Amino acid sequence: MSNGNGSTTAQYDVVIIGAGVSGNLIAKQLGLAGKKVLILEAGPTVPDSREQYMENFYLALAKTPESPYPSLAGRTGPGVGSLPDPAALPAPRATVLAIGRPPQQSHLIQSQTAGAPVNAKGEVRQLQFSSTYERIGGGTAWHWLGTSLRLVPHDLTMQSTYGVFQDWPISYDEMETLWGLAESEIGVAASVAQQEPLQAAIGLRYPPGYQYPMNPIPSSVVDQTISSAVSGMSVPGEGSEGGKEYSVFVTSTPAGRNSEPYQNRRVCAGNTNCIPICPIQAKWDPTVTLGSALDTGNVTVSYQSVAVNIAVEGGNATRVDYLQWSRDANGDLTSKPMSVTGTIYVLAAHAIENAKLLLLSNNQQGIANSSDQVGRNLMDHVLYLAWALADQPVWGYRGPLATSGIESLRDGEFRSNRAAFRMEIGNEGWNFSTGDPYTTTMDFITGTNNSQLNPQGQRLGGVKLAEQLNSFLTRQFRFGLLLEQSPQAENRVTLDPTYTDGLNIPRPHIEYGLDEYTMEGFRVAADTCSAVFKQMGATEFTQPTVHPYPPGRNPGPGDFSYQGKEYHMYGAGHIMGTHRMGTDSACSVVDASQRSHDVPNLWIVGSGSFPTVATANPTLTIMALAFKSAQSILAALGS
Amino acid sequence: MTTTPVPDNILADFANMSAALTGFQSSVLRPFLDPVNLSGLYYGFAVSQVSQQAMDALLNAYRAIATQPAQTIADTLLETASPTPSNQAQIAQSIVAMWYLGSWYKPAYQNAGTPGAVVQVVSSEAYTNGLVWKAAQAHPMGYSPFTFGYWSQPPASLATFGVNVPDGGGQ
Repeated sequence: MSNGNGSTTAQYDVVIIGAGVSGNLIAKQLGLAGKKVLILEAGPTVPDSREQYMENFYLALAKTPESPYPSLAGRTGPGVGSLPDPAALPAPRATVLAIGRPPQQSHLIQSQTAGAPVNAKGEVRQLQFSSTYERIGGGTAWHWLGTSLRLVPHDLTMQSTYGVFQDWPISYDEMETLWGLAESEIGVAASVAQQEPLQAAIGLRYPPGYQYPMNPIPSSVVDQTISSAVSGMSVPGEGSEGGKEYSVFVTSTPAGRNSEPYQNRRVCAGNTNCIPICPIQAKWDPTVTLGSALDTGNVTVSYQSVAVNIAVEGGNATRVDYLQWSRDANGDLTSKPMSVTGTIYVLAAHAIENAKLLLLSNNQQGIANSSDQVGRNLMDHVLYLAWALADQPVWGYRGPLATSGIESLRDGEFRSNRAAFRMEIGNEGWNFSTGDPYTTTMDFITGTNNSQLNPQGQRLGGVKLAEQLNSFLTRQFRFGLLLEQSPQAENRVTLDPTYTDGLNIPRPHIEYGLDEYTMEGFRVAADTCSAVFKQMGATEFTQPTVHPYPPGRNPGPGDFSYQGKEYHMYGAGHIMGTHRMGTDSACSVVDASQRSHDVPNLWIVGSGSFPTVATANPTLTIMALAFKSAQSILAALGS
Repeated sequence: MTTTPVPDNILADFANMSAALTGFQSSVLRPFLDPVNLSGLYYGFAVSQVSQQAMDALLNAYRAIATQPAQTIADTLLETASPTPSNQAQIAQSIVAMWYLGSWYKPAYQNAGTPGAVVQVVSSEAYTNGLVWKAAQAHPMGYSPFTFGYWSQPPASLATFGVNVPDGGGQ
């Protein structure tokens, strides 16, 4: 490694930047093949026990995705008032509490404007990008949901099938093999037989005889109630498909959580806490794979090591410069410049930080960017949230956060014109939508009406309070709709010219918006949710607003209007597209193996490689692509 | 938090008052075997926020009506029929919120008349023992005492979760 003077004395076969889903899987595969690997991780180490993270979670006032993880202030006082200044942090991350906040609190620098303006093309611009990520050992997938859906065949062929966007440079047959590897690594609980109705609906298929590693996760009472209510329901096709009907049905969700012991981890106990943290690690997370990587004896991790430059000389990457940071006894931040060399380099720091480091390298001239696509096509599964009260108890706040969804609308000819979506069924009542059970409880204690459930302003106590809360909380449920966002070159990550972090590294600047294709998907998504609620006899409470702001407030970042109707867009936490893959080096950054077109010994991996985002939660496909990258790296090393 | 031990009879009064205010059985709030001692923690925390004098006054108001039906006690101390609850009733609200949610919310009189400003989660055990999760026939998010697959079936009755329902049954 280093002799402490910043010069390098040892050489690795592969240097990986980032200890998350992709980095850990690639490290494991290379380690198993006897290759010497160093992982540079910007954030702190993986703790021996998750007890401290659980304590952080319990004591957090706002139980946001980031709440269990280090370097977040704000446990006491007015919640968001004491967010740390990213300018003082060594590896700041985007946080939910910082959404819409100024640069003194938000790592991401955004030029969002309240009441996002519409440009000449009908696009909403300067919209808040609302997804976040971690910078710690294990990465953002500490708080992934566990949803392990495969893409459907047309997801890879949007250009050739529907005439929009790009095709993926990889076949469905090859992806099937890679998904199988990923499902085994994660331990996905699902049944091919349960997924079978999706073959006719959206073309989902499996190789003959394929079986998931373990039996499916049981469906919740919420799922069962919705499934019964929508039996036989369909929604009409649009435009030229006027005569067609799309059937609406509920399918059990393949999940990266244990239905039986797997890899020395327990079965799911239904803690309803997959996000922010599974208390018992029944849900796979990247630290599981990291453990396997370390067990090979060939993988080393250097924590608190922030890469600042990938040197490229003579066309090849030759060195990674990084800052190893620590805090002294007074808590003051110090850092030491270091360098390390390898035969091959893998950038696996997630979509925004990957783009940032590529743009930062070579004295901010950038590397691997002859296509000018680095940082562009930033996408999310923009999330539409709809919530309702059922006419009978469905008993939410129980079980994994989500166990089923309506997947039957993920594909169709409408994709020529508007975004497809999947409908995730939530098992956590109105926790996401309304901040419940807190909001409704305080409404009935103090006489407020922030939940919309106390319009008379009642104040209750005793058994009346308990029974009123029981009546509402047991009937709450929600849909979270993941929409397929268009790739747009102007949605991009650049280096902010003004704001830096605690290591004086420029922070990511975000430009973001939605086009009509995506917004039209929003419109249909909202109408579809309302139709399902009506079919169920449920009462809808969806508001174009976001907790904790009261209804009736002025539009804020993340709100937009389309065809005269107000919407609020949430982030799904699925950050994608900033180093798109493709066959043509003129308009893509990496090839199908996630290898840089420009720098042949550099792989740039993760959901940033997705040329289109479709509607499946990305982690399974991130890992599938990482398997392919590992294979190609081994081939390049001559193994 | 280190606190001076509170006499047992005062804690018993605090727990019994809290049971009436929350609608839960006193044995849920202050079990016979009580290693967590939430009633002691909550008593001390409330005193630290609103003063000993204010807590004494609230407990005395409770003692004066302690033999009445639990719902009457709750409605009286919380002044649920009044459009402008007194400072003492607002303290009772904050105590209800603490039992339900595990967090301390400032009484409106301490917060420019606006109710519901949250101060802090009192402790991790306060979070994992919040009554609202029982009122939902569920469990605290992140703290499930149940086992694999329980979510595919309806839960046990509300009475089983400790709510002092009048007929002792129902869902």
